[in-house]
This record gives sequence, structure tokens and C-alpha cells, in this order.
Amino acid sequence: MRGILLLTQAEINRLRRNRRYLLFTVGLPVVLYLLFAKQGKTTAYGVSFSAYYMIAMATFGAFAGALNGNAIRISEERKVGWIRQLRLTPLPASGYVIAKILTAMATTIVSIVIVLLLGRFYGGVHLALWQWVVVGVIVWLGSTIFAALAVAIGYRYPPDQAQPITLMFYLVFTILGGVWFPLSGALGNIGKATPTYEAIKISTDVLENVSVPGYLVLGLFVWLAVFAALATLSVRSMAETV
Amino acid sequence: MISHSGTGPVVSFENVSKHYGQLKAVDGLSLDLRAGETVALLGPNGAGKSTSLDMLLALRKPTAGKIQMFGNDPYHAVKSGRVGAMLQSGGLMPEVTVRELVTLVAGLHPRPVPVDTTLRRAGIKDIADQRVDRLSGGQTQRVRFSLAIAGESDLIVLDEPTTAMDVETRRRFWAQMKEEVAEGRTLLFATHYLEEADQAADRILVINRGRLLADGTPDDIKKRAGAKRMSFHLDGADETFLLGLPGIVSLETRHDFVQLQTGDSDATLYALLDAGYRPSEVEIGSLGLEQAFLAITAEDDQAGETESAPAR
Repeated sequence: MRGILLLTQAEINRLRRNRRYLLFTVGLPVVLYLLFAKQGKTTAYGVSFSAYYMIAMATFGAFAGALNGNAIRISEERKVGWIRQLRLTPLPASGYVIAKILTAMATTIVSIVIVLLLGRFYGGVHLALWQWVVVGVIVWLGSTIFAALAVAIGYRYPPDQAQPITLMFYLVFTILGGVWFPLSGALGNIGKATPTYEAIKISTDVLENVSVPGYLVLGLFVWLAVFAALATLSVRSMAETV
Repeated sequence: MISHSGTGPVVSFENVSKHYGQLKAVDGLSLDLRAGETVALLGPNGAGKSTSLDMLLALRKPTAGKIQMFGNDPYHAVKSGRVGAMLQSGGLMPEVTVRELVTLVAGLHPRPVPVDTTLRRAGIKDIADQRVDRLSGGQTQRVRFSLAIAGESDLIVLDEPTTAMDVETRRRFWAQMKEEVAEGRTLLFATHYLEEADQAADRILVINRGRLLADGTPDDIKKRAGAKRMSFHLDGADETFLLGLPGIVSLETRHDFVQLQTGDSDATLYALLDAGYRPSEVEIGSLGLEQAFLAITAEDDQAGETESAPAR
């Protein structure tokens, strides 16, 4: 365990220096929120537009932070031979993946908290303390789903394929998932199956103070199980070549 | 000091094979390494050295046979921190400095060596604060070496460690390895550089086409080739006559300088003298390791060709 934490620490230090990563995962949701939160539209998913958009941007921060940089980074680290080098150390076999997931969680919490603070002090979103905590935790746990997806992609594909595949998931989950705008119509119905939508809807239901439908929560767990299974398959299939 | 529990071999391969479809990268390899030995795995490219080391380090699984390290399976031996390894190529963690990387790997080890000591030993103290992905090839190699000695291990495994090193760096490398071994460590290294095996190893394992051909001290291997080297100066020697000398295996002449290999140096010398010749500056000695090695592997390759050629 100590080794995994050491690796996580090193990964976090490394990410903190990567300006592009920070700009994209923290800067972008913040800027977008500042630009669009007070568009004067009425409501979305039963809450004020400002509140919906805050949750959407927090989800985006969690999603982008856990998936984008990670998938390609894992793919490159495999190609360059760093993962193989780690296998020669006493670090347990699962250590690398766990460290990547922990690192994703440590970095997404920052963007989530910043966006939520913006929602409170700029967007005028007022919630009870428990609501803030629950929403933060749900979105934050959602980043584990995307971290698992990052592992599944990064282990399986070389960097030049990992990039477009990651982009595809990114577009599907953000557009269809209602991150840029609330869902409606036929396309919206398809989008309701995405984990991004589920995370956003659960959070807005919490805001509305209505009971959260079980199938939404179940949906998140199913996505987690699916991506975790894909990740395990990817790691195992590459066992001899890593 | 290095401790060894039990008296079993440090490394043992029992009839280990690794097949990739029809290709037998390693074929029924059996060997034992004892504590404190410095052993060279010598063989041409494609002989199965890297595959064998990969299996020893739990990076690949054998198709058949059993491998043990310190009486344990390879994976557990590696995870308990008893092995330090340097591979032929491979990767370092991007976007961190040399010092951060060495500190990380040392921290993963149950018996870490102080980071500054490791940096000094690997000769990378002057680049400690540079980013790992901005180093030259030679610097990268020294960093990879530093990771192999970042913790105190009982066995050090190196795969072609001095490829592309200049003479000075190579010399410094082996001087460092000598220090490591002096503390009782076992060292196993794969190489295709014969002088390196000759100078650095107590014991040489000759590998070709996935099999062990010879196992002995450098002198043993040289003797294995059987032949002896003979050279002398002789004016006006008839080449046909020389080729007819008893025991002769090969012949090379340059002006009046004759160099030959013979299976029976006494018979050759007496025949030469009896024929009335008076060669000068006669030197008789064992074959260099290179010739011995070539002789052993050529024999094996030939045997392989007759094996694979079907009876017509």
C-alpha cells in the first residue's frame, strides 16, 4: 500500500506541473461556467439553469480529468516501457492502475470543489450543506468510472489509436450526456443511458430534494462494472507484452 | 551484508521452454546459479537470452518447465525486493526529474539505498535535476542502471547492460558492479560481447537457439573448443603443404606470417619440423573466447540444419 501511495504522490506532482492538463480540467469548466451560467434561461431538470450548469461543469471536470489525459498517458507509458519497468520493482501488479485511479480522484476533486464554489458565490446557487456534500461526492465518485475507462483504453490501444477512441467517448458522453446543454427529444432519450447524464440527473434530483430514482444509481454502478471489466480484460490481454 | 536463507541455488531453471507457435525461443533450458557467482549468459542475437531473463523476472511465463528464484516463484521473489534488474531497453516515467524517479523506485524497495549514493554510483549526480525525458541515450542508460541498484538486492540481473556505452563508461560500470558483487551479491548478465564475458564473469553459460550449449569458467569454454591456436613466421611456406599438416582445422597466411588452428598442436609442430622447416617466433596458445564461442555455436547451428532438413 505504501508503494502505491508513493507512486500516486509522484503522479500528482507530475500532473501539477502539466499546464495543459490543469487548463483543460480546471480552467475550462470554470471559464465556461462564468460565461454561460447566467444565460437567463429558466430551468433545466427541475432546477435553476445556473444550478444545472454548475453540476454539468463539475461533472465535466471530473470526466475530463479522469479520462482525457489519463488514457493517452497510460498508452504512452506502456509503449515507452515504463509499466514494464515498474513490474521489476516490488510494487504489486495492480499498483499502477490503483495509483492512476487515486491520482485521477485527487485531481478531479479540485476542479469539482472550485466549480461548486463558483456556483455558490457567483451563480447564486443556495443549497443545504448536506446537498453540497452529496452532489460533490456523487460527481467525484463518477470520476472513478471514467478512470476505469481510461485504463481500458490506455492498456489496449497504442497512442495513435487511443487518441481518437478517447475523443469519441468524450464527444458521446458530453454531448449526448447533457453536459453542454440539457437533454430533450429523441436524442435526449438515448443520452439518458450515459453515465454523465445519470450523474447530472442524480445531482439535480438531490438539489430539487426529490427522491432519486433507483435506476439512475444502478446505471452508474453498471457503467462502473462494465468499464472495470473492460479494464481488467485489457490489462490481462497485454500481460506478456507490457 | 547479503544473507542467504537456506543453501539452495539462487536461480534455477528446470527444463524451461518458451514457445511462440512453432518458434522455440527457449528450448528445455536447465541451469543453476549459486550465491555470490557472477554469471554471463553469452549468445548471439536471437539465442533466447532476453526471453530467459524475462521469464526469470516474471515478465513472461514459461510454456513448460519451472523457474525458481531464492526457492520461490519469480513473481514473489521480485515483489519481495530481492532482485534488481536492468533491461535492454525501456522506459522511464515521463515528466519527472532523475532524482524524483530514483527516489520513487528506492521508496518502493524494502531496503532502499540513499538516493545520493545511488546517483553517485550510477554516475548521474550531475543530471539529477534534469527531466528524465530530456536525456541523451547514454544518460538514459545510466538512469536505468541506477534503478537496478536503487534498493539493496541479493541478485542483480542485467540484459546487455553496456550496449552503446563508450569505453570509459563501460569501465566505470564494471568497476561499480565489482563493488556490488564484493558484498556477496549474485550477478547474472546477458551479453553478446565476448571480452566482457571473459573479463567480468566467473562462469559463462553459452546459449544458442534457446538451448544451453556450454557451462564453465571462461577457460573451460576456451578449452571446450578443443583446438589450439598456433602462429609463427616462415619464409616460403607452401600453403598446400601447410593445409596437409596433421590436426589442422583452419589456416590463415599473411606474407610470411602464418596463423592456424589445430586439434593437436604437438603433431602439427613435429610434422612441420620433421619436414625440415624452421619457423620462427612460434606461439602456441588456447583459442580466444571468440573462436571457442564461434566453434561451439557453429557446431550447434550445423546440427540444427541437419535436424530440420527432412530426409530425402
